Amino acid sequence: MWLSGGALVICVVMVLGLLSLVFWKGAATFWPMPVDRFTTVDGRPYMGEITRHDTYRPALTAYNNLAPEVVAQAETLLADTGGVSDRDLVRTGNFRLTQNHFHWVEEFEIARRDQPEWAMVLERLEWGRFYGLLEAFLILHPAASAEEAHTLLAALEPEMGLALRLVDRRFIDGAEQTVLLPPTALGEAQGLLAVAEVANGPEVAWQAFEEHHGEVRERWEERRRLEEFDTGEVNHTQEKARLAVRKVELQLQEIAEQEGEQSPAWHTAQATLEAKRTNYAKVSAWADGEFARIREEIDAINQENSRYQLLLRAAGEGAIPAQSTLVRLDDIVRAYPANRVSWRDKLGIYLSRWHEFLTDDPREANSEGGVFPAIFGTVTMTLIMSLLVVPLGVLAALYLREYAKAGPLVSGVRIAVNNLAGVPSIVFGVFGLGFFCYVMGASIDELFFAAHLPNPTYGKGGLLWASFTLALLTLPVVIVATEEAVSAVPNSMREGSYACGASKWQTIQRIVLPRALPGVITGMILAIARGAGEVAPLMLVGAVKLAPELPIDGLFPYLHPERSFMHLGFHIYDVGFQSQNSEAAKPMVFTTTLLLIGIIAVLNFTTIWLRNRLGRRFGGGQF
Amino acid sequence: MLNSRICRLLSGLSILALVTSPTFAQVKVDERLPEYKTVQGVSGTIKSVGSDTLNNLMTLWAEKFKEKYPNVQVEIEGKGSSTAPPALIAGASNFGPMSRKMKDAEIDEFEKKFGYKPVPVKTSIDMLAVYVNKDNPIAKTGLSLEQVDAIFSKTRKGGHANDVSSWGQVGLEGAWANTPISLYGRNSASGTYGYFKEKALFKGDYKDSVKEQPGSSSVVQGVASDKNGIGYSGLGYKTADVATVPLAKKHGDEACPAEPASVADYPLARFLLVYVNKRPGQDLDPLRRELIKLIFSQEGQEVVVKDGYLPVSYEIAQQALADVGIDIDG
Repeated sequence: MWLSGGALVICVVMVLGLLSLVFWKGAATFWPMPVDRFTTVDGRPYMGEITRHDTYRPALTAYNNLAPEVVAQAETLLADTGGVSDRDLVRTGNFRLTQNHFHWVEEFEIARRDQPEWAMVLERLEWGRFYGLLEAFLILHPAASAEEAHTLLAALEPEMGLALRLVDRRFIDGAEQTVLLPPTALGEAQGLLAVAEVANGPEVAWQAFEEHHGEVRERWEERRRLEEFDTGEVNHTQEKARLAVRKVELQLQEIAEQEGEQSPAWHTAQATLEAKRTNYAKVSAWADGEFARIREEIDAINQENSRYQLLLRAAGEGAIPAQSTLVRLDDIVRAYPANRVSWRDKLGIYLSRWHEFLTDDPREANSEGGVFPAIFGTVTMTLIMSLLVVPLGVLAALYLREYAKAGPLVSGVRIAVNNLAGVPSIVFGVFGLGFFCYVMGASIDELFFAAHLPNPTYGKGGLLWASFTLALLTLPVVIVATEEAVSAVPNSMREGSYACGASKWQTIQRIVLPRALPGVITGMILAIARGAGEVAPLMLVGAVKLAPELPIDGLFPYLHPERSFMHLGFHIYDVGFQSQNSEAAKPMVFTTTLLLIGIIAVLNFTTIWLRNRLGRRFGGGQF
Repeated sequence: MLNSRICRLLSGLSILALVTSPTFAQVKVDERLPEYKTVQGVSGTIKSVGSDTLNNLMTLWAEKFKEKYPNVQVEIEGKGSSTAPPALIAGASNFGPMSRKMKDAEIDEFEKKFGYKPVPVKTSIDMLAVYVNKDNPIAKTGLSLEQVDAIFSKTRKGGHANDVSSWGQVGLEGAWANTPISLYGRNSASGTYGYFKEKALFKGDYKDSVKEQPGSSSVVQGVASDKNGIGYSGLGYKTADVATVPLAKKHGDEACPAEPASVADYPLARFLLVYVNKRPGQDLDPLRRELIKLIFSQEGQEVVVKDGYLPVSYEIAQQALADVGIDIDG
């Protein structure tokens, strides 16, 4: 008794431990942290969020090329603590300036540590995070020459609360800096860039930023909509016209081979071809015009957006000096003064990060942005898989239990099914690739999509083939569960049904299946849980690193089961093992895992709810 | 008034573009490389199958490309350099990123199908770094290639006298002297595996105790969490938890750090290649032509820097573009 109890306790502890680890790490990822600024004894600055803390015994050799004052401080400190020292892993960001995302700051080299009030955290579309001190908000009016600047200064009337300044770029101590000059200092400019309406000082700049960021981002969204939907539609129309031409061309070839050139059929086809070609030329011309128009709109939006910028002072890192940099507002996804935000604002940032994660496309080779395509791919694939596997598995199990006569053949089949459950999943992947993609897919392509060749349509990995492969993989689960459920229906009920004059199928349909239904659905739950979490076979039959086009969209025929798709499980593998900035990717792995577990739980609970409902409905006739 | 303002804005657009360019960077893109200009008539699907080292780079380029040509579709797979040639041969991909050169057998296979050789495009430079845990003092002193060979290889073709299995044998003292070395490497489908075998192992064989990892980043993570670990991976995957070991070509030479500034002297610097199927005498289709032009533009090479690799010079870019029939200034 105590042995089995102990085993249960160990199981529960392990499962709960894993779940709570995933939950804790995954849920904490998006919580905004304060920004710390360190200055070392020899004057090197580091600023960023602290991500990890470590206590260790530094070896004496570790600091043989450090500055002497650092070594001195280190020796006093280590003597006090008995050779144990602390260090913090600081996310310093600013990769473009420093070529580093993270830095270990040793406790013994810190001279000063503070949390600057206006330290900003910027999440950008490109180049990852930026940490810097807020200096000013600018609306730029580019001016290449002094005369231009002069006219601009005379003509411009700055917005409420903003002042006119000159934006100048110059080298100070070997680093290029952006500085603001008063309008009277036009003569002193070294690399005049623009005249700007400026909100100078962090407080006003932050106010102006909050005021303008929304509209800039709205324009950016508009631009993205143009890029995705409008262009997609034009492109689709053009591709359709091209395929129409190609189809007739292929027909013409066939006719020429079968009936010879100059036959009446050949002439008709020739005429159609001409018509299609003219049509294609027309569509192409129209499409080019549309593309140019869309391009123009995008350029206009870009240009308007590029006027709004923030001036920040990067803290510098190590040997790299502090410098002032401009950041475009439309490049900023989210910005906040990390050391000033209240608890409520933090919660807002936290939730908005989750929102982005759940609804947005991935950015920067999947290391940032959201996972929406992966969520969509996982759910669609699992649903298609269940639709395939449940009817097939149930029918097969019914035959085995109700129709087939027990004998060596049936038990042979049963053994085979049970063994199928033990086959490694990658084998199913190989089978799916070899049979579904290369044999079935290629034949479908030849029959129906000849015009697309040599580009394969179904002859490669895709959503449909992935669902088929996983359906095969989970088939044994459904068959075994259904068989158990069907055999649990007491024979007396069947006999009663026959006694009332019901046929075999009527008995199965009205008596056996309703009673077995909860068991069947249990099989389905197990199948979903197994299928949604499977990754290895998917890598072969259609899950890819990046496929922002969803398998369902607004373009005819709306459902595109042939497309490659993204999958959460594969996404975890990719982010965990392939991403360049692996330190920043680690928490994302936990978050994605949490999400995957959540989705499987939701799918399962839906099925359980369905089971209970159905159980109640059919339960009425039972005793 | 408004009109003239817009005109001025238009004329100033190029300057605005400059505002956002980096003001200070350790690694700089060659200023002579051209800016990318969008053209008309580009459509189709970018299908790239190949190297895992280049996986992120290809994805980033594709993302940039999609910004310019939103109508283009993108599919990127990166499971190892060895998967590139078969996909190119089968026509299942139009780009084959590889972190090593194609082997003769692979080229023959390609030639058998098409009658000509595939063209390698040198897109960027990687320094294959030997990583150790951040606390390992060997990162200060460095190793010679013979020592690296003796650490990783059981055949020791580099000529080191005896097998190296503990840190003491490469000169570490104190607590390190008796700690055994724990080895991390890539799986055999990887181009990094092949390159390291050829250059650092002098074509010898790996020890059986090398823990083979599925990705470049997992090698780094393995070394980061293993105090005694040593592994090899692209410089772009460096994190704060690991340190790179300076390498010397021969024993007694001065060890050269794995830093962008010393790329010319570093013994394990290599080009990252993208193979394309180009019929001699025929121009590339617009899709492939434009992506390759984008790769060798300012923006494309900025992406290389962003991913932690080194950009190519104007001369290399010019030669690479000429190889596929594109004029760099055209």
